[in-house]
Amino acid sequence: MRGNLENVASLTGHLDRVWHVSWNPDGKLLTSCGGDKTIRVWGTHSKSNEGQGSDWTCKAVLQDGHSRTVRRISWSPCGSLLASASFDGTTCIWSQKNAEFECITTLEGHENEVKSVCWSPSGSLLATCSRDKSVWIWEVDHEDDDYQCVGVLSVHTQDVKNVCWHPHKEVLASCSYDNTIKIFQEEDDDWCCVCTLTGHEATVWGISFDKTGTRLASCSDDNTVKIWQDCNPDGQDGGSSRKTSWKCICTLSGYHTRTIYDIDWCKHSGLLATCSGDDTIHVFQENSVGSSYKPGFSLMACVTNAHSEDINSIRWNPNGDGFLASCGDDGFVKVWKYSQC
Amino acid sequence: MASNFSGALRLTDLDDFITPSQECIKPVQVERLPGRSGPIKVQSDGSYVQIGIDGEATQLKKAQITLNDCLACSGCITSAESVLITQQSQEELLRVLEANNKLPEGHEEKKLVVVSVSPQSRASLAARYHLSIQETARRLTGFLKELGVHHVFDETFARDFSLLQSQKEFVDRFRRREEKGTVPMLASACPGWVCYAEKTHGSYILPYISTTKSPQQVMGSLIKDYYSKQSGIRPHHVYHATIMPCFDKKLEASREDFYNDVYSTRDVDCVITSGEVEVMLDKEGLSLADMQPQDLDPMFPVSRDGQLVNHIGGGSGGYLEHIFRYAAQELYGVSVEHIEYKTLKNKDFREATLEVDGEIKLKFALAYGFRNIQNLVQKVKRGRSPYHFVEVMACPSGCVNGGGQIRPQDGEQPKELLPRVEALYNSLNTRRPEDNPLLDQLVSDWLGGADTEKAHAMLETAYHAVEKMNNALTIKW
Repeated sequence: MRGNLENVASLTGHLDRVWHVSWNPDGKLLTSCGGDKTIRVWGTHSKSNEGQGSDWTCKAVLQDGHSRTVRRISWSPCGSLLASASFDGTTCIWSQKNAEFECITTLEGHENEVKSVCWSPSGSLLATCSRDKSVWIWEVDHEDDDYQCVGVLSVHTQDVKNVCWHPHKEVLASCSYDNTIKIFQEEDDDWCCVCTLTGHEATVWGISFDKTGTRLASCSDDNTVKIWQDCNPDGQDGGSSRKTSWKCICTLSGYHTRTIYDIDWCKHSGLLATCSGDDTIHVFQENSVGSSYKPGFSLMACVTNAHSEDINSIRWNPNGDGFLASCGDDGFVKVWKYSQC
Repeated sequence: MASNFSGALRLTDLDDFITPSQECIKPVQVERLPGRSGPIKVQSDGSYVQIGIDGEATQLKKAQITLNDCLACSGCITSAESVLITQQSQEELLRVLEANNKLPEGHEEKKLVVVSVSPQSRASLAARYHLSIQETARRLTGFLKELGVHHVFDETFARDFSLLQSQKEFVDRFRRREEKGTVPMLASACPGWVCYAEKTHGSYILPYISTTKSPQQVMGSLIKDYYSKQSGIRPHHVYHATIMPCFDKKLEASREDFYNDVYSTRDVDCVITSGEVEVMLDKEGLSLADMQPQDLDPMFPVSRDGQLVNHIGGGSGGYLEHIFRYAAQELYGVSVEHIEYKTLKNKDFREATLEVDGEIKLKFALAYGFRNIQNLVQKVKRGRSPYHFVEVMACPSGCVNGGGQIRPQDGEQPKELLPRVEALYNSLNTRRPEDNPLLDQLVSDWLGGADTEKAHAMLETAYHAVEKMNNALTIKW
C-alpha cells in the first residue's frame, strides 16, 4: 500500500448512530445526521483547511425538522440550502443565512421512509428515493421556494437506497434492495428509466460517479465494488438518447468481508473510498496501465477498526485536499487525512 | 410480473406481489358456530378438521381475504392483484357464463347476464382490430351474446347521469364556496385516484372529492335497481359485468359502498378490461372482425336513431368540459362556445378559465398522472390551490390510455397507438347529456324526481379515510 489514512478528528455529539456525512460545496463545513433526528454542522475556527486537524467544533444542531431518523443530507451546489431525507417520510429544505439554519420547506409525498436526497449539479432539480420503491424528481423554483414534483419513477421492485446525479448532466442514478442500479433521463417532458445495471448479487447501497460522469462506482451487500462504464456517453449510436448502455468493466472483491455501505469517488484525485460493516475504510486507485475498458484498481490504504461498529457513510472533501469524513453506528463522525507515502 | 394498476396505486403498496397468506395482518373474521368447540386436528393432506362432541370430524374452512379487506386496510402490502384474479377476471366471467349456460331455462339459479361496455374500451378494441367504433360495438355485442350474455349496453348512457349530477354538484359547491371543503371540487370518476386519496391523504382531501358516482357505478345502480325491477328479476339474479379501460375499476366495483346487503349482490359483479377481452378472443382463436355483428340492446339507447354518440371533452369523460359550460351558463349567464386550454408544466396539466368583464370567474384544471396529482394534492392541503374544479385522473393522458387498454401489436410504439385510439374515441358525434332520450322518463320513473332521496342514493357515494396503521410487521429497514 502506497497511501496512508491518518485520523485527524473524532467528533462526538450525536446521541445515536450516525447515518450520513456531507461536506458543503466549499469544503469548510461538514454536516452529519442520524438516529437522534438531528443534523449537526461542524467547522473549524481557522480560515484555511490547514487547521482541520485540530479545532473542529459543532457550530449548529438542526432539530425539530424531523420526527424520526434523518437518513441522508445533501448540500445545494450554491451552498445556501441543505436538504435532509428522513424516515418520517418527508424531506426538509434548510436555508443557511450566516450561521443560522431554518427549515423553509417540507416536501411530502413519499409513502414511507425517505432514504436519500440529492441536488442536481445545476441546483434546479432535487431527487429523493424511498422504501415505497419510488424515485421522485422535484423542480426547484428558488425565487418562490416552490418545489414541484416533475417525475415519480416506480421502476424499482424494492426499497430504493440511494440516488446520485451525474456530475454535469441531468442524468440520475438510483440503487436498490432489488440488486439493480437504474439510470434516468428526461424524454418528451417526462422522466423515464433509460438503463438498468444488473450484476450485483445483493442490495446495492451506494453509487458514485467519477468526475467525467462516464463511469459509475457501486458498492453492495455482496461485499464487492463494481465499476460501470457508459459505452455511449454522447447518445450517438443511432442518435436516440435511449441508447445509453452501461457495462460493468471491473469488480473489486476480496477486500471487504461484510456489506459495503458507501462509496465515494474523489472528483480531484480519482481515489475511490469505501466503508463497510466490517468496520474498515478502504481507498483504491486506478492503475495507470491497462485499457480504459479493462481497468485495474489497487488498494492504496486500509484502516481496520476505523469505527468500532458499522461504518455508514464516507465522503471526500470537495476541495481535493485529501480530507475524508466518515461516520458510523458508534455515534462518531471522524475526519481522516489521506497522503501518499 | 408487471403490475397492471395505475401509478398512484402502485405507490400505495396495493400491489406488492406477496400473496396475502405470507404477510397479511388483516384480522379475518371467523364465523363461530354456537356450542363448545372441539379439538382441531391437522390431516395428512394439510387440511384442518374439527372434532365435534359427537366425535364427528368437520372440515374447517380456510379464512379468505377479500379485496374489500385489502382496500380497507393500511397494514400491508397486499397482493390485491392475486386476490383480484380470483374474483374479477375474464376467467371468472367465462366460468359464470359456462355454469349459467348449463342450467335449463327457468331454473331458479339461472342468471340474466348483462354486460356494459365503456366507450374507452370500444376505442381500444377498434384500434386493435382496425374497425370503426360502430362496427366494434356491433361485433363485440355479437361475440358476447355468442358466449351466453343476454344483453349488452353502452355505458355512455350512465355517463349522462354522472355528468349531469357532477354539473349540479359543482354549482351547489361553488355557491357555498366560502364554506370549508367545498372547492376545489375534485373529479371522482377515477378509482385509482380515489383509492390513493383515501389511503394517503384522508380527511385533508376527501371532502373535496365529488360525491357523484362514476359512470360504471351509475350503470350498476341502473342495472341492479331500475333494470331488474323493470324486468321483474331480483337484483342477485342479474349478473352485471363491465368492460373497462382500467384495472383500478375492479377495486371500485368491490367497494362496500356498492354492495347490496339485502340481496347480497354487487352493483357490478365483475369488471374485465379491454385487454382481457382481447385475451378471451385470442383464447378462442378469434378476431373481433370475424364476429357476427349484432345491435346493442335498445333498453338504454344513447340516441333516438340508434347511432352511438359520445361526450365532448376528451377520453376521460369530459367532466371539465361539461361542468365548465354548465357553470358558466348557470352562474354567469355565459354561453361558452369553445374552451381554450392552457398547457402548464406538461401536457397532462392544463387549465381553462372563464373571464367575465375582464375578471377571472372560474378556474378549472385537468391533472392527469401521478406527478400532477401530487402537486395538486399538496396545494389543496396547504389551501393554495387556485382552482374551482379539477378533472383528476391517475393515468397520464387520461382514461383512453388506461392500464387495462390493449397493448400495441407488431412493433407499434405506444406513442403511435395512443393517437389512433384517441382519434377513434373522438370519431363519434357528440351530444349533451341533457339530450339523453330517456332522461326525463328515468328521472321521474326511476328516481321519483331530480332531488329525491332515491336520486341521492342512486347517483352519489361516499369516501372513507383509511387509518394509517403502524404494525411491527410493517416496519422495515
